[in-house]
Amino acid sequence: MRTVSKDRILAGVTLLPSILLVGIFVYGFIGNTFWTSLTDWGGVGALSENPEKNYVGFYNYKDLFVGFLSSGFRQDLVNAIFYSVFLLIGAIGVGLFIAILLDNKPKAEGFFRTVFLYPMSLSFIVTGTIWRWLLAPSGGVNVLPTYVGAEPFNFRWLSSTQSILQFDWQNILSFAFNVISIVLIVIGLWLLGKRSKHAAKWLVAGIVIGILVYLFGDMLPKALIMEEKHGFNLATTGIILATIWQYSGYTMALYLAGFTGISQDLRDAAMLDGASTFNYYRHIAIPLIQPITISAIIILSHISLKMFDLIFAMTGPDNGQTGHPALNMYLTTFRANDFARGAAIAMLLFFLAALFIIPYLISSYRNKDERA
Amino acid sequence: MKKLTLLLTSALAALGLTLGASAYAADQKNELEIFSWWAGDEGPALEALIKLYNEKYPDTKLINATVTGGSGVNAKAVLKTRMLGGEPPDSFQVHAGQELIGTWVKSDRMEDLTPLFDEQGWKDIFPEGLVSLIGTDKGIWSVPVNIHRSNDIWFIPKNLEKWGIEAPKTWDEFLAVAPKLKEQGVVPLSMGQNWTANHLWESVALASLGAEKWESLWSGDLKFNSPEGVAAWDLFGKILQYTNDDFSSLSWQQATDMVVDGRAAFNIMGDWAAGYLNTTKKLEPNTGFGWLPSPGTSGNFIFLADSFGLPKGAVHRENALNWLALLGSKEGSDAFNPLKGSISPRKDSDLSKYNKYAESAAADFARDTIVGSLAHGVVANEGFMNDFASVMETFLKTRDSKVAAELAQQIATKNKIGQ
Amino acid sequence: MARVELEKVFKRYGSFETVHGIDLAIKDNEFVVLVGPSGCGKSTILRMIAGLEEISDGTMRIGDRVVNDIDPKSRNVAMVFQNYALYPHKNVFDNMGFSLKMAGLSRNEIKEKVEQAAKVLELTPYLDRKPAALSGGQRQRVAMGRAIVRDPDVFLFDEPLSNLDAQLRTQMRMELKKLHIKMKTTTIYVTHDQVEAMTLADRIVVIKDGTIHQVGTPIEVFEKPKTVFVAKFIGNPPTNIMAGQVAEQGGAKGILCENGMFLPFPHETALEIGRKVLAGIRPDAIAAEEAVNKFSPAWQYDVQVLFSEIVGGQSLLEFDINGTSMVAELDGRHKVDPGTTLKLGFDLDRLFVFDPETNLALDW
Repeated sequence: MRTVSKDRILAGVTLLPSILLVGIFVYGFIGNTFWTSLTDWGGVGALSENPEKNYVGFYNYKDLFVGFLSSGFRQDLVNAIFYSVFLLIGAIGVGLFIAILLDNKPKAEGFFRTVFLYPMSLSFIVTGTIWRWLLAPSGGVNVLPTYVGAEPFNFRWLSSTQSILQFDWQNILSFAFNVISIVLIVIGLWLLGKRSKHAAKWLVAGIVIGILVYLFGDMLPKALIMEEKHGFNLATTGIILATIWQYSGYTMALYLAGFTGISQDLRDAAMLDGASTFNYYRHIAIPLIQPITISAIIILSHISLKMFDLIFAMTGPDNGQTGHPALNMYLTTFRANDFARGAAIAMLLFFLAALFIIPYLISSYRNKDERA
Repeated sequence: MKKLTLLLTSALAALGLTLGASAYAADQKNELEIFSWWAGDEGPALEALIKLYNEKYPDTKLINATVTGGSGVNAKAVLKTRMLGGEPPDSFQVHAGQELIGTWVKSDRMEDLTPLFDEQGWKDIFPEGLVSLIGTDKGIWSVPVNIHRSNDIWFIPKNLEKWGIEAPKTWDEFLAVAPKLKEQGVVPLSMGQNWTANHLWESVALASLGAEKWESLWSGDLKFNSPEGVAAWDLFGKILQYTNDDFSSLSWQQATDMVVDGRAAFNIMGDWAAGYLNTTKKLEPNTGFGWLPSPGTSGNFIFLADSFGLPKGAVHRENALNWLALLGSKEGSDAFNPLKGSISPRKDSDLSKYNKYAESAAADFARDTIVGSLAHGVVANEGFMNDFASVMETFLKTRDSKVAAELAQQIATKNKIGQ
Repeated sequence: MARVELEKVFKRYGSFETVHGIDLAIKDNEFVVLVGPSGCGKSTILRMIAGLEEISDGTMRIGDRVVNDIDPKSRNVAMVFQNYALYPHKNVFDNMGFSLKMAGLSRNEIKEKVEQAAKVLELTPYLDRKPAALSGGQRQRVAMGRAIVRDPDVFLFDEPLSNLDAQLRTQMRMELKKLHIKMKTTTIYVTHDQVEAMTLADRIVVIKDGTIHQVGTPIEVFEKPKTVFVAKFIGNPPTNIMAGQVAEQGGAKGILCENGMFLPFPHETALEIGRKVLAGIRPDAIAAEEAVNKFSPAWQYDVQVLFSEIVGGQSLLEFDINGTSMVAELDGRHKVDPGTTLKLGFDLDRLFVFDPETNLALDW
């Protein structure tokens, strides 16, 4: 009999409760949600003690993407993607900028640090309410120019019905292939710049896909029977603004911690090497704290994919212009009693979040192996 | 080995405790738990009922579980998880009509209250139309506490005088004066976020279809994509041209404020606006603010009602029945409604306790054809209401009547309206 | 190629002064070592030359330029840091080429210069590696490579060898010296290690508490220390110092130490009888056994051995003379039991005499 050390048994026993709890309450529930999403649980009688649930395969998913009645969800999805992208750019950009200012040790640095970090301690409901006032059509931000005698802004931060960067969901397949092709080519060019051997592979793959889509794109099946335009709804600007306001302090704190951790010698060395402050941050400091940027991206993308309360507080439920899959999921599940469909939306959000986090996990495991 | 066994058992015990905590059995104390989303403005009205109950049944401990926010959306979500988890409150607030029937009665979660209605003689005291809307052929499912009217148009008489117009009795009249108002820089009709658009739609659709066809929409006899259905959307689209373009960021109060401030001429809103204008804005009924049935709907009364039902499996069933009896009593009704700003569903309520608006509403309620509200859950189930919100968003974006009517019919089929 | 001149240079942090008006002129091509105990201000002086610290008062010139208000990057100085300060995310090539990139050189020019420097420093096989994948000595060379690619007017070294093990340190020290002979760039080198100072420097600057104690060639500071501190700090083991006064004994003028030891002056002196002085004698100026006989009997003393140890071909001897303990550094291996009485000869030609008040060397 193989002897197992007592330590190992003890360790196993100590871990057992948390493994069981996490197994049941996290992974078990994810599994249950996935199972629910494959059924038709919903509609009349959904709340019976033993509701009828029939296995319907991926019908709910298919319906969300190509169903005639699911255009609201599709717009929400597009919104969420734009929202995530702009939030990432905004919060990281602003946070980085403030962190750089504070890293250069102005007077009362500690005071400013607190001031900028403070918004994060507010609840989204509070932030949402404040910003709904600030972004009201004829108050707050819009009247700012009048203080210097200019005309007030007329932008509808939260209620604009304009939409830009539109594309037709009908052609989602060829659109997706185009995106893939562009991404591959960009990665290829980037590798080329780095003189990597693998550049050619990426470039060729990207160009081939691009050409194929260009030539045979018309033969791809249409997602819908009719045109359905989705794009970046300008009314989301206000929500993005409020989220950036709330989270740039957080990214600032992350970056500032990173900057503070860089040895003064490195900065001195860069200065002596002829780097300006700008070049120091561009070539030395920011690349050095890349892990911080990555964690910021992961944390913020999660927040943006799960965003609920802020949107609820700012523009309310059922606002097609600023909708979000998380809100849609809540209403679909708990108002329309369409549990299966709500579960499908939840799973899609889960997969989207995984898209961000899995590459990160893989790369961090790889780095660990390299170091070991 | 002994040590190991001890460790293992204690670990399992810890796990068991955690799991077991939620299964903590409800006790059989003399309690009553009622569940609602009434807090804030509506709080005092509920408190009055609770006070009355405590006086009558001093031995029962009443637990008032409220979940606020989102005009009931959050409370409903919590309620659903409790019901699914097998922990129903003893009695809960629900919009009377299909919102209750579609969700809870069809799921066989409610007790039939016909015996209570018989015992209290309520079938004669509540209007017949009302009783039929809150019941099915299988029973009566909740006790209505209040009645609100959805189809009211609100205005400030002084302002109308200034602009030289009169409150419109039909949509044609409105569409005739609206361009003039617009020229003067006045928004003819103010509107707020999504649900107020639904609210406006039901008034417009009722005007366009008439009470009979409105009823047949919900019985499934008239299709949403029929010419009449499309015509309702056409009219709605015309009216939308004269609304404010920032509606989606306004609450209903802010939309009402536009009328008070003179930025807008009219607003269509339920009669809780009367309470807001009277209490918050300090305007006198008739002189300070005025109202009419919304254009084209005089003689019709779109009602909505809050009610309380008795879920199957309620732990304190007897106490809950006492509570329901109190709600439907004249005493309970007249304690609650004047504070809530609604009228009593009872035909015999003491009108002297109510304000001027309520007096007129009560008179109309007794006289008019009573139809159910869509936006507030009387005529359609929750699935339809949820989908209708996104149909509305599609229409607000595209302004395409045919597509909206087509979508509406699809969601009606999907949600089994009239079946 | 440039001179570096400091005139009355001060460094103050608020009211706290760390560098007290130093004057220093470093000639073109010269290798100058700033040496002193930790906290003496030598690194601050180096950083002021680099421009990383502001000069509170005084004038600093590099070449003919006053550089007080000139940015580090415009001073054309290169610095090697104690921990090398390599950019961890850049490979060796990019570390070395960064300054050239900042200077706006073309890719080809950068390549040429970096490869040339890499060749000199034998780094060619490592150009693609990140610093984390290099040994300590390789990192040290990269840091130097980063400095030399730029062909700066002045090299600054801030204790560059202190993170290396002893063997590597000696090797790098010699490489550094060879490099200087080849490149002939003005070099200022900060260290607390006097061996580095003695071996590398054209001139040594001994610094304590923000003031310069002595500037001179290694031999000068060793043989003619200007202060007690220099005498003690330079040389290992440190100079033996004894308090005493000028006296006459047996017709000879000398120093009568407090322990009763009499050190006759090797030559005529104007120091008046009775003057209080400090006498200093280097451990290596003390001889034993037959070497004792080189000295006159007046320079020979009987001592009691406290402890002895053999260091390679030399021996260290701690002994007691009339209750004062002193150290001698003897040629050859001498293993002597503690308690043994021994005759030692003192080379009083190498006697140091200091003023006990000022701690400065006396002119005698």
